[in-house]
Amino acid sequence: MSPMPRFSYHQPTTVDEALALLTQYGAAAKLIAGGTEVLPKLRSGALAPEQLISTRRIVGLEALDFDPASGLRIGGGARLSDVAACPEVQLHYPALASACQQMCTTQIRNMATVSGNLVNGSPCADTAPPLLVYGASVHLVRQGPDGSKLTERRVDLEAMFQGPGQVCVEPEELLLAIEVPPPAGRCASAYVRHSARSRVDLVSSSAAAWLSLDASGHVAQARIALGSVAPTPLRCPDGEAVLVGKQPDHALLVQAAQQAAAMAKPISDVRASQAYRRAVLPVLTRRALEACVARLQAGGSQQQGASQ
Amino acid sequence: MSKPNPLIGANLPRLDGPAKVTGQTVYTDDLKLPGMLHGVLLRSPHAHARIKRIDTSRAKALPGVKDVVVGEDTPKINFGNWRLVANTQDELALAVDKVRFVGDEVAAVCALDRDTAERACALIDVEYELLEPIYDVSESCSGNAPIIHEPFPDNVSLKREISYGDVDGGFDRAHYVREDRFTVQAVNHAYLEPCSSLAAPDEGGRVTLWTSTQVPYIVQCLLARTLGLPENHVRVIKPAVGGGFGGKMELRPWDFCAAFMALRLGRPVKFTLSRSDELAYGRRRHPMTMRSKIGFNKEGIITAKEFDVLLDGGGYNAMGPTAAFLCGNFGAMLYRYPAYRYLGRHIYTNKPPAAAMRGFGAPQALWVSENQMNYAAEELGIDPIELRLRNAMESGDVIPQVAKVSSCGFKESLQKAREMSNWDAQRASKRPGYGVGIGCFSFITGGVFNWFNTKYNFSACEVRLFEDGTAHLLTMAADIGQGSDSVLRQILAAELGIGVDKIRLTAGDTAITPKADLGTWGSRVTFMMGNAVIDAVRKLKEMLIPVLFGQFDLNQIHDIGFADDRVFVKARPSRGMPLAECAYKALRARRGEPLTAFGSYTPRNKGLVTPAFSFGAQVAEVEVDEETGLVDVKKLYTAHDCGVPINPMSVEGQLEGSIQMALGYTLCEQLHMDSDGKTLNTSFLDYKIPAAQDMPKSESAHVLTYEPDGPFGAKEAGEGMVSPTAPAVAHAVRDAVGVCCKDLPITPEKVLAGLGKLDFEDTP
Repeated sequence: MSPMPRFSYHQPTTVDEALALLTQYGAAAKLIAGGTEVLPKLRSGALAPEQLISTRRIVGLEALDFDPASGLRIGGGARLSDVAACPEVQLHYPALASACQQMCTTQIRNMATVSGNLVNGSPCADTAPPLLVYGASVHLVRQGPDGSKLTERRVDLEAMFQGPGQVCVEPEELLLAIEVPPPAGRCASAYVRHSARSRVDLVSSSAAAWLSLDASGHVAQARIALGSVAPTPLRCPDGEAVLVGKQPDHALLVQAAQQAAAMAKPISDVRASQAYRRAVLPVLTRRALEACVARLQAGGSQQQGASQ
Repeated sequence: MSKPNPLIGANLPRLDGPAKVTGQTVYTDDLKLPGMLHGVLLRSPHAHARIKRIDTSRAKALPGVKDVVVGEDTPKINFGNWRLVANTQDELALAVDKVRFVGDEVAAVCALDRDTAERACALIDVEYELLEPIYDVSESCSGNAPIIHEPFPDNVSLKREISYGDVDGGFDRAHYVREDRFTVQAVNHAYLEPCSSLAAPDEGGRVTLWTSTQVPYIVQCLLARTLGLPENHVRVIKPAVGGGFGGKMELRPWDFCAAFMALRLGRPVKFTLSRSDELAYGRRRHPMTMRSKIGFNKEGIITAKEFDVLLDGGGYNAMGPTAAFLCGNFGAMLYRYPAYRYLGRHIYTNKPPAAAMRGFGAPQALWVSENQMNYAAEELGIDPIELRLRNAMESGDVIPQVAKVSSCGFKESLQKAREMSNWDAQRASKRPGYGVGIGCFSFITGGVFNWFNTKYNFSACEVRLFEDGTAHLLTMAADIGQGSDSVLRQILAAELGIGVDKIRLTAGDTAITPKADLGTWGSRVTFMMGNAVIDAVRKLKEMLIPVLFGQFDLNQIHDIGFADDRVFVKARPSRGMPLAECAYKALRARRGEPLTAFGSYTPRNKGLVTPAFSFGAQVAEVEVDEETGLVDVKKLYTAHDCGVPINPMSVEGQLEGSIQMALGYTLCEQLHMDSDGKTLNTSFLDYKIPAAQDMPKSESAHVLTYEPDGPFGAKEAGEGMVSPTAPAVAHAVRDAVGVCCKDLPITPEKVLAGLGKLDFEDTP
């Protein structure tokens, strides 16, 4: 165990205050939300910031809003357990609800935020594959040049991930919200995760899928994303392309899953071997696709998807 | 016999429960003394190296640092639990010439706060000469491997042989012989409380040590010796302990360093390990490479068995010699082996030392014998339970060189497990991906062996009775979470006929409680200390009984009963008095001499291993995902014989805990090491113990036997039940998907490889 680094602790209550602190301290500062990633890193010596800025007292940052026209907005302070329990998320974004319900433990879900899960930049972030298949983006803000106005930008989630532990968020920026487009037409989604311990564990591999059908029952749009199998959470256009315009029968799903899995670049580590990840990825992907199709065939409400 | 004692078999709640679940319990690391310093250990970064030079000057100069100690500063007295065999005592608190595993303790620092001590550790400059490390157990004893301890040039620290009957003839006569090789991995105890010790100087050069231990008496003796002090100068106190499972039954370097520094500085010093210390450097269950050959005749009766084991001991003996001994005994348990040959070799490697862990040799030996029983059943075309029934031990059987089995409910356990699990129907109906399997166990109830070479009784206690009808039990027995404080009170209460709430308990303090108790291991405490408590109470009763005879002018043919806080004539229960009154009158009659009695127990005429054996059978139902290789254990059915369960709820707790631990051993727990001998998974994130959500459904039944030597007929329930799960699950996996796994753990990778769906490669 290394000695705990010494740092100053800030608890701003407004976004403006937080941004002022971030501008003042820049790379010497580290944001902390639920602390479930940051605290272990402080204790292990992997992180040694001079300034620790908590987002937990920022009023309104935990908001979770759904609007049928504009979609879902997950505040930067929204906890995994809030998202997991939100009826609109369960109804319209079941793959995300499923990820937030299954990952880690109850205690951690009650502390950790979705935004923290993403900006941590881990390839095995459970919320990443579902948010990638929903086409989510992140809303980032920083203090403007004159100090009074905000400068904001929106980045596609896919573009945000740059490598293991690397995201394109500047030290002065705050992730204000994750924006997820509204559900479109006849669509369904699902998330399938796999870990060696079966229940409470980090994923060793995971797959999310999202499908929409046209009036004739052919796939109109498809999105597949994989977790823990590449330096970043991975969108798989090769697999998606197999599906578009076709009837989603078993053979097609198998083929799409194989194409998607072929894009993965898994490694061997203490959680699983490369060979094993390669073997199970097509299975997980196919199962996610099958779950989508089953849900679509079951009819149900237009936006509903399967939750696994 | 008289009517059953109402307190025996009563599900009394644990007395330590409320404080534990509300966070009030005080563990060693919670203790804070005035002026206390914080200690940190510097450990070797190398698996095998010679220490050339240590420079502590920069560390000593850091403000806040109070002391830095290296091996050369200490008396350099070796220690180890086998005092009877001096050359097994191969460990020093701080390395002097060599380091033998990554994590070997090299120096200790204490400072005003822990952070300063950590920083000072980083300032100690150690020059090492790297030596070739050896990690593989077979290579290590091959004859041309680097030598880890000079007195043992072949790296074999201990050999244990057992041989009886005509083994070769047994194989010659056999109708069916098979030979298999199995391996099992190291697993960590994963007790909730990492090790911690706090030492404070006492008057006259004495020292008190509070430590998280299973064996206060052993720590006292070994600490005194390594400090060069008389035993009586060392007081060891065991506060509440958050689990041990065999991992806390030795003197450890932090115990020594805390006491040594406290004496040097005249200030209290505390060391507390982190979880990553425990996983990276801590004791673990022995990995073993095992070869077993077994023969059967046409009727499925065993004719002979040969069992060879290489125990991967790591850098020091730790508890390895006992493991080598016991593994051979467990290899001949459960069934009638007319001829048996065992060779166990304890091998040094440059890995963290393995030691005792729940089951201690049994999970490994029974992984072998139970798997082979299942393979043989299949090939002989005999139902696996039927094959076991044909060979099962019975009460009165004599195990050569071991003991007579005084009580045995194995056959009944097999029958019960068969019924509970609906075995015959489940075996007959095949569902894709589903399977059932069986594994069995037997375990010892404490050890007869005395390698520690104590001069005292194995268990001893004092019971005091007061004029208000309350009692005080003083015992060195160490409750480490298993509930002995509660069960011993239950035994005392049952024998004396009072409520458990009437009993004050002082336990685990070597300066106050009677000598001795060998500690919490080998499932011995309920049995041995329970017998000692009964012995003490019976002596107390002898002081009370004359009061009734005088009071009621009784004919000497009468017997006196003790129940419901009363003392009475058994034949005429109305003639009697409250226990308090009787105690009062006895005190008067004794002219103030206190009512106090010492009780003890030492197994005698019980052979060389144990006074009593538990038995049991477990059936596992699993579902295997043939595409991912994941094994989901759906349900376990356990029927077992622990004699008379004194507190069935506590026995149930032991079963639940055993299942949790065994599932990890079976499916997911393993320590990954890189090519430099460094452990890679040093947190619970990557060292995977099953969580509450992973627990399967469980159904259990007690097969009641009465153990004649046990307190109220009881025998062990703490360790045996950890053994059957791995072979039962392996059997069920084979039944489900046809994959035969001989190497634990049964990971999804191995299952997929077995199904031909992946080229298995070891993860790093």
